[in-house]
Amino acid sequence: MRSTTPRGPAARWRLALLILAAALAAVGVPAGAQTPRDRFTFALSGSPDTLDPQGTAATLAFQVNKSLFDTLVEPDDEGRIVPSLAESWTTSADGLTWTFRLRPNVRFHHGKTLDAGDVKATFERILNPATRSPKRSDFAAIRSIEAVDPLTVRFVLGERFAPFLATLAHGWGAILPADLIARNHEFATRPVGTGPFTVAEWQRDSLIRLSRFDGYWIQGEPRLREVLIRFVPESAVKVAGLLAGEFDAIDAVAFLDLPRVRANPNVRVIRQVTSLVNVVAINTSRPALRDVRVRRALWHAIDRRQVLQTAYGQESVPVNVFMDVVSPYYVSIPDPFPYDPERARRLLSEAGASGLTLDLALPQPYPAHIEAGQLVQAMLQRVGVTARPRVVEWGFWLSRVFAGGEYDLTIIGHTGKLDPDGRLAGYGTAGRNYVRYENPKVEDLILAGRITTNPELRKRIYAEALKMMAEDAPMVYLGTPVLYMATRQGVRNFRQLYAIDTFDFRKTTK
Amino acid sequence: MPLVARRLLAVAPTVLVVATVTFLALQVIPGDIAQVMLGVDARPEDLARLRREFGLDRPLVLRYLEWLGHLARGDLGTSITYREPVARLIVARMPVTLSVALGAMVVAVGVALPLGVIAARRAWSPGDLAVLAGSQLGLAIPTFWLGILLLLGLAAAVPLFPLQGYAAFSAGPAEWLRHLTLPAVALGTERAAALVRLVRGSVLEEMTRDYVRTARGKGLAAAVVLRRHVLRNALIPVLTVAGLQLGYLMGGTIVIEQVFGLPGLGRLLLQGIYARDLVVVQGAVITIALTFALLNLAIDLLYTAVDPRITYD
Repeated sequence: MRSTTPRGPAARWRLALLILAAALAAVGVPAGAQTPRDRFTFALSGSPDTLDPQGTAATLAFQVNKSLFDTLVEPDDEGRIVPSLAESWTTSADGLTWTFRLRPNVRFHHGKTLDAGDVKATFERILNPATRSPKRSDFAAIRSIEAVDPLTVRFVLGERFAPFLATLAHGWGAILPADLIARNHEFATRPVGTGPFTVAEWQRDSLIRLSRFDGYWIQGEPRLREVLIRFVPESAVKVAGLLAGEFDAIDAVAFLDLPRVRANPNVRVIRQVTSLVNVVAINTSRPALRDVRVRRALWHAIDRRQVLQTAYGQESVPVNVFMDVVSPYYVSIPDPFPYDPERARRLLSEAGASGLTLDLALPQPYPAHIEAGQLVQAMLQRVGVTARPRVVEWGFWLSRVFAGGEYDLTIIGHTGKLDPDGRLAGYGTAGRNYVRYENPKVEDLILAGRITTNPELRKRIYAEALKMMAEDAPMVYLGTPVLYMATRQGVRNFRQLYAIDTFDFRKTTK
Repeated sequence: MPLVARRLLAVAPTVLVVATVTFLALQVIPGDIAQVMLGVDARPEDLARLRREFGLDRPLVLRYLEWLGHLARGDLGTSITYREPVARLIVARMPVTLSVALGAMVVAVGVALPLGVIAARRAWSPGDLAVLAGSQLGLAIPTFWLGILLLLGLAAAVPLFPLQGYAAFSAGPAEWLRHLTLPAVALGTERAAALVRLVRGSVLEEMTRDYVRTARGKGLAAAVVLRRHVLRNALIPVLTVAGLQLGYLMGGTIVIEQVFGLPGLGRLLLQGIYARDLVVVQGAVITIALTFALLNLAIDLLYTAVDPRITYD
């Protein structure tokens, strides 16, 4: 039996295929072709939730917002606070009154000139409960804001608050125009600021296209005409796109991909020590873990260097205090409880805690913390402590582990802040920190640091607090990982600002 | 009452049940939007303040009834994380998800139909066995893995396909197709693998029927018998399954949207769950449920076109 092919449909199929081929050929512009020199394509791990700088606490949002808005002051590469929209500032002797002199002739994207009224309206907006800003409490110290003259604005604080200046430098201190605030403008999707770029196109979860703002207050900046930020969650895809030339820069290279990226002559790896401190946190309110000997035994039992280098990358830097190594407030002390399993076993038996079984909560989606957890589990096993790893979803971790205290051990990274108070506030105080750590002396020192404006004195106060905390071992500090970013060879001045983790494209060229 | 009206009325309770289950599920899972927003910087008093401002401190029943009331007026609410009306977010994403789901369906049917028929006509031949083995393989490969494989193996090497993103149909059909091809293949392959077995089985079964013997007996060519008689009957179960699969694909795009960086409904839903943004999750789930129900209705109506014996009064 022979089958005959029906002619009509086959012919139609052939036609359809021809049209398809022609269509694909018509757009045969290679996706990997180099983009023009003033157009920059950057792959970022995720999308901002909103472009209203007062409506979010998400790092991803501030990574984009940095290009749209300016703040009164900003951090430089070393984390020092330098002028931005404010040219200069003075503080009263009691530390309660802060007066800022604004830069003249700064324009918003819609043409309005920046004045003191904008600054006043901006901070009154974030302090207004109706704005529902997750960052409002950062400005809780403000009692009143006064526009003294068009270029002078005065903040009066209700209490001495040394971190005030650093707070203004964060993305949530972005200055918005008073006229649009008054009109209830939707900044969430149509942001208007004084920043170097404006939003030309935003496809949520896909891309955001930034166009140069020609009226930017820094002459000759930004150098790029356009920055296209693509939101790419898969790290393998980011690397492939960089190598193929589709992306000019990517926000992170997984350290396992490093050899491959480094071997490519067309790309360059940028290495930056982060502001993170990764820790094995100990719930000190658990009966077995209340004994400081047990907590020190855990520290002795864990080969911190190995955990750090295996899970977080070869170049990670071990720390012995709860402060990132790059911070000016970091103090170098010898390892208080060096790796010594024998000593760990002895301490455990002294404390009557031999054969201890502990729960080890590991947050998803952080594969590095999960890997660190497996190493910690094996190391604790060697000193007779059974750790039971439990991988939990992030929202679950936040509510049950972090807030609820339903854990014995957990592994997490603490991001740095421009001001040390951001990292340390609450430690030592009952009910104010997730490791349930109490030490009135540490509490007093941290509170003193918060109201001390003299930097040298502040450093001494925090150094004392950090040393006492290390002695009490409410966490096993692992260390600070290194962030690897990568760009195509010709890219210059691509940078991420330390501690606030945002990208600054103003000087970038390619 | 005409069938369409009756069926449409039946959709309402389905959607209501889905909405209620989603609402309750999100209450049961730990964590809320304030918690996720503030992350590890959360201080107890800030959490309490935000919960109050977001209205999370009000009784569960009250919040649910309020949401239902809004829904009845066609208002899906405003997202707390996005600070935008949910309806606007969904409308922006529907075309992406529908395009991917339809593209995957085209791939699935386009592969499964010819291969299934060929396999059935030469049952147990080496060709048939190859199709069966291939289908087994297609079912076994996880969609996300195939997606990544296509991306790294094909898109990164051949500049024809973009690595990431979506282009609207309005921006040009060619661009749209270029961005859609790989996700559609990645998502459609598994469906094709499932469908090819059904087509093969269905055609094989029909070919043993008496009417086929009669048709052959009166001297019709095998190809004509296949096209005019066998396929028509064999396609009814295939149509049912394919229709259901389209609904399934609406949800199945979640993973593939993540891999290919497509701003679709699935990704909105996923982000909504991570952020515990209840109104976004509710809106997305209801949209998917509604699409699913309407697709089923459309398939039922299609039966009458394929099989004249089926009528609805």
